Amino acid sequence: MIPPVRMEPSVPSAVPSREALALLRILVVAGEGGSAGALLQNLRQWADDGRLEIDTAPDLPRAVRQLSGQRWDVVLAVLGEHPDDDLSWWVDTLRGATGSPRFIAVAQAPSMGLVLRAEKSGVLDVLALPLRREELVRALERVRSVVSETAVPLPLVEPHAVGPYALVGQSAAMLDVYKLLARVAGSSATVLVQGESGTGKEVVARAIHMNGPHASGAFVAVNCAAIPENLLESELFGHEKGAFTGAVTRKIGRFEQAASGTLFLDEIADMSLALQAKILRAVQEREIERVGGSETIPVDVRLIAATNRDLKEAIKQGRFREDLYYRLAVVTIRLPTLVERGDDLVLLTAYYVRLFAQRYGKKIQAISDRALGLLRAHAWVGNVRELRNVIERAVIVATDETLRAEHLPDELRGEEATLVDRPQGGLLTLAEAEARHIARVLAHTNGQIGAAAEILGIHRNTLTRKMKEYGL
Amino acid sequence: MTGPPPVRVEKALALMPELEALAPLRALLVSIARPDEATVWSSSGPYLTLGKRGVHPDELRRRMPQAFHRITEHLQVLFKAYVEALECQQRADAPGVVAALVRAGRLEEEVGRHTQARTWYEVALRVAEALQDRRPEVEVLRALGYVCVALGEYAASARHFQRSLALAEAEFDQAGATAASEGLGDVAVAQGQWGGAQAWYSRGLRLAEAASDAPHVGRLERQLGVLARKQRDLAAAGEFLRRARERFEAAGPPDEMARVLNEQGRLDAQLGRYTAASAAYREALAWAQRAPRDARLELSIRLNLAELDLEAGRLLEAEAELRRAEQVAIGGHAIRRLAQIYTLMGRLRGAQEDETGFVFFEQAIELAKAVEPSVATEAQVYHAYGLFRSRLGQQDEARAYLERARELFDSLGEAVERERVEAELRALSA
Repeated sequence: MIPPVRMEPSVPSAVPSREALALLRILVVAGEGGSAGALLQNLRQWADDGRLEIDTAPDLPRAVRQLSGQRWDVVLAVLGEHPDDDLSWWVDTLRGATGSPRFIAVAQAPSMGLVLRAEKSGVLDVLALPLRREELVRALERVRSVVSETAVPLPLVEPHAVGPYALVGQSAAMLDVYKLLARVAGSSATVLVQGESGTGKEVVARAIHMNGPHASGAFVAVNCAAIPENLLESELFGHEKGAFTGAVTRKIGRFEQAASGTLFLDEIADMSLALQAKILRAVQEREIERVGGSETIPVDVRLIAATNRDLKEAIKQGRFREDLYYRLAVVTIRLPTLVERGDDLVLLTAYYVRLFAQRYGKKIQAISDRALGLLRAHAWVGNVRELRNVIERAVIVATDETLRAEHLPDELRGEEATLVDRPQGGLLTLAEAEARHIARVLAHTNGQIGAAAEILGIHRNTLTRKMKEYGL
Repeated sequence: MTGPPPVRVEKALALMPELEALAPLRALLVSIARPDEATVWSSSGPYLTLGKRGVHPDELRRRMPQAFHRITEHLQVLFKAYVEALECQQRADAPGVVAALVRAGRLEEEVGRHTQARTWYEVALRVAEALQDRRPEVEVLRALGYVCVALGEYAASARHFQRSLALAEAEFDQAGATAASEGLGDVAVAQGQWGGAQAWYSRGLRLAEAASDAPHVGRLERQLGVLARKQRDLAAAGEFLRRARERFEAAGPPDEMARVLNEQGRLDAQLGRYTAASAAYREALAWAQRAPRDARLELSIRLNLAELDLEAGRLLEAEAELRRAEQVAIGGHAIRRLAQIYTLMGRLRGAQEDETGFVFFEQAIELAKAVEPSVATEAQVYHAYGLFRSRLGQQDEARAYLERARELFDSLGEAVERERVEAELRALSA
């Protein structure tokens, strides 16, 4: 029985009480063609009772200068005559500013496209001119809500070290993987590891190698999709000097490098049919020839292949050799997605926070409830690899002992319900609802149109048309 | 629900013959190439290059009218410029003929057709040489000088600028003489002849100051700042840049301010002031936003920002910045910059001792050789590729790539870079 992962909130000692209204430092900046005059006058009137400290910058370059000098909580940007164009520049230019201030955009009659694009870029809010006090207060409340986050201690994790990597997780789906891995590792059988991108196929392959009869040999990984097709053959089999233009020296290929060890062919489905035939020969005959060479070289390697594609479908489409498939898939291990792994997300988060905290010399002991909520709500198209990236970036920007929502990337923070929470004149039209839903799905897929079209159940061309229509 | 998979750019380009008429189609294909969506988070995602992006033939077909429109538009303005030249000829307005032909050349340069631009300028020069007023000839020679720099023909470029300078001085054309001096400085910089460049820029600065030509003064101060930094006179570099910055901040064009700050960032980086350098680059980006869109300027700043992160060991930030730059370069068809981006990505992988990083150098070489040939870029890529191999302990390959870089720098007459490569080759043999 695996105990459920418990994340009890600790006493939020480092967190100020809700009663104390934190002073917010706001930098007001006008874009080209934008005017902050009237807005500024209003802001100054509201400043005292709203505990706001306000300063201005005449333009974006001067704002950058002011932001590099001191810490600001909010940048209130009055977008100019071309708000759509301005927005991406502003977000981009203000990235990396001291203390990661939240960004509120103000524009004349903001379009739905602008609002949705802003949400995708992690902009806290888009407000219309003339600015209404209640709207600003509501946006600033959300900035202040950051200080009411509750710190939750990181759970203890016992990772299974796999060379430079680790297997982390206690979910039922991962237990099945561990069992199969244990059964197959002791043999020399060729293994096919299948799973979506970022599920940890290489880590599993390394674990098989390290626990198998070839453990004393090298583990050599080749990413078949990363290497240009015209170079992949020589990368795998090596070449003799002068075999082709650019073959300046004799090269020992990866098959030979992996002698008495394991050769891991990642993303095998991306290989051309011609090269698949050569791999098949190497697997069957256990011998290879270097490009431009005539000598036959015996190779004693364990082969592990991996793919994120459906190889049976690829066989049907004539893109993958059936005989090679059966040679590779002596044993098949299917890896679960991060979403299928449930509470493993928390363990993985804790593991990565500690790993990167050590690497970057940080002392992070906890994660806030809000940050954890954001991590749980995310779709994780890139699975564990995406989570790892998110945590690494968050640890780099974190400055105290708790990893907070503000340390997470804009895309994740943008997923917090913002537009839905904000009643803009009552009920939504069907088109507005559709546009918002499409924007959310696109945010979940990191802007990947094909993946978004699949989730939405429409053709990518239809999605592209709708994105254009809604200015997304 | 989803259609057939996209075709990879490497395969798409392999199917396209190297015909000049297909250049706009090639540019369109590159600009619409997108990463295969399944690849972004896959293990090959970090190694994604232009060649591994995908294009949908359908999308290319749909976008073809846009390309035709751009071609027609370009031809229309070119033809119009020619007709204007004819009308001037009819009116016996020879300076007008020269101006119209130079305009046509500039239009060609704007779309990266440097060889064609040179042809227009050569025709313009023949007309200008027959004029009593030498100022049009001064201008044409300057245009020829710059187009030759872009084509890597430094000796020809220097000849044109020299002639332009001599004529301008004979005509008491101070602005022309200033510009020609600046051009000669630029040619010297392109060849790594810092001393010569400094002399020419200083001469240009004296002329510009005498003529109270503020924009030229600011630009030349920035150039002298660049040179001082390259010669490690960092105090002088700081002083030149401070002056240029003050001049442009008051009323100068935003792109010039962006260039000064971009250079200030490089100086701060050289002084080890990473925070100040990063702030300068960010501010440079902000100024660039206020200027008319210039992908090359933006890319230069982003590349410097990425290199700063790379040198400071902030590899995640460096990669993110390089990916943003890659998008700008692909969208703007800035192929030479794209080759530089991939070279930096290769260096980044080298810093992680990741052997698969070689794919970036291979892609950069492919771009510099086939997609938009540039010997200077190819030489720089081979240089970095050699260092990458050397770092991984592959000394034979490192030597071969460095020798190739030396050979290419030799063909360009580039002295400083050649010497650096030579020193690295000596170190390899030691």
